[in-house]
Amino acid sequence: MSLYERLGGAPAFQAATDTFYRRMLSDERVSRFFDDVDMDGQIAKQRAFLTFVTGGPAEYTGKDMREAHASLLEKGLSDEHVDIVVEHLGGTLADMGAAKEDILEVAALAESVRADVLGR
Amino acid sequence: MSSATEPEPAQLLVGSQVIGLRGGETVLEALERSGFDAASGCRAGTCCKCMLRADNPPPESQRGLRPTLRHAGYFLACQARPTGTLRIDQGEAPPTLQARVQRSEVVAQDVRRIFLVTAEPLEFRPGQYIEIFHPSGATRSYSVASLPADGVLELHVRLVPEGLVSGWLHGLEEGDSLRLRGAFGQCFHVADDERKKLLLVGAGTGLAPLLGIARDALEQGHAGAIDLVHGGLAPERLYLRDELSALASRWPNLRVHHCVLKGATKREHEGSLDEVAIRLSGPLGDTRAFLCGDAGVVRLLQRSLFLAGVPSGEILADPFEAAPV
Repeated sequence: MSLYERLGGAPAFQAATDTFYRRMLSDERVSRFFDDVDMDGQIAKQRAFLTFVTGGPAEYTGKDMREAHASLLEKGLSDEHVDIVVEHLGGTLADMGAAKEDILEVAALAESVRADVLGR
Repeated sequence: MSSATEPEPAQLLVGSQVIGLRGGETVLEALERSGFDAASGCRAGTCCKCMLRADNPPPESQRGLRPTLRHAGYFLACQARPTGTLRIDQGEAPPTLQARVQRSEVVAQDVRRIFLVTAEPLEFRPGQYIEIFHPSGATRSYSVASLPADGVLELHVRLVPEGLVSGWLHGLEEGDSLRLRGAFGQCFHVADDERKKLLLVGAGTGLAPLLGIARDALEQGHAGAIDLVHGGLAPERLYLRDELSALASRWPNLRVHHCVLKGATKREHEGSLDEVAIRLSGPLGDTRAFLCGDAGVVRLLQRSLFLAGVPSGEILADPFEAAPV
């Protein structure tokens, strides 16, 4: 059983996506990257990301991730911002009741996305 | 040939084509098998890329969608296993109708309230918008403030400086005719929970859809609190105040608030519309929000209300995008 299923599947992740996105919008270290984005579209993407990293049914391609973040690189997106996202990801999953080892596993999977996000 | 007890075969209608569904097959699988280039992504009800519309989709294929989308018949093809006949909507544009001006009145310095009567009935939900055709063929969108039972379409038209369509609309007189089509948009009341708190926030002529949505909810027996917050730059820019007061005294669960950026009198709150709305409305976790007006204001409201606790799936926004002048 995937972590996605153990944490309650689609309904739980719908609420968790809101929590995750609120955390990032409220964090002044990263909030500026979301200034000009369409909120509905962004929430759908965050939901797909959370679903993907917890082993749920999500469509994920490195190419999409690269394209989505290309303009943010010009605004200064760097490793420290990816670290902050991973931090909020862990916090969100902890709020949902995930165990520490699960969170570490997810963080490792999220690491694999880093190169795509930063266009390396 | 088929008896009354025999169940109707599961099938899809796409235009004139009939596609029989094989056992356990989803709508998405049947469309792909039949050679349709159907959009899809996760195939698990998460990404919403395979969203289609039909009149009677299976309810389990609408899980997780916004209430207005469910009401309008949208569903996820990857989650749909219909039992009877499902006609897939192919997104035909609604027909163009003739209408005439019944009445036009000035309600604020640059806003007219224009009442139209269509030659044939127009199907719409209050808060949705229609497209008006200028004689040149240019179109502009206007939200409907009235209810179908009113028998008229009420629009609030702000005169845009140098505006092609708004200037022409302001000059129309009783009896003049025009063409329109509709209705469009996903910002309207859905009576799925009569106790839910509703928060309606709009700036300028964003009042039009909100007035329609508030009246619609009240007429349908909504019992939860409804807060309507109308914002403008200054007190003289706010309009239909008497009508809103009358509506609030008729319905005890409706509260109307006015908000201005500067120069508030005793009758208005002063400050940024999002901050005032959040302060007035109390806890927002179980609230549905309707946000209407110029795109910039609506985006600000969307973000602020979401951060203040309104679930993203309960935020119904109708941003007015400015047309090129």
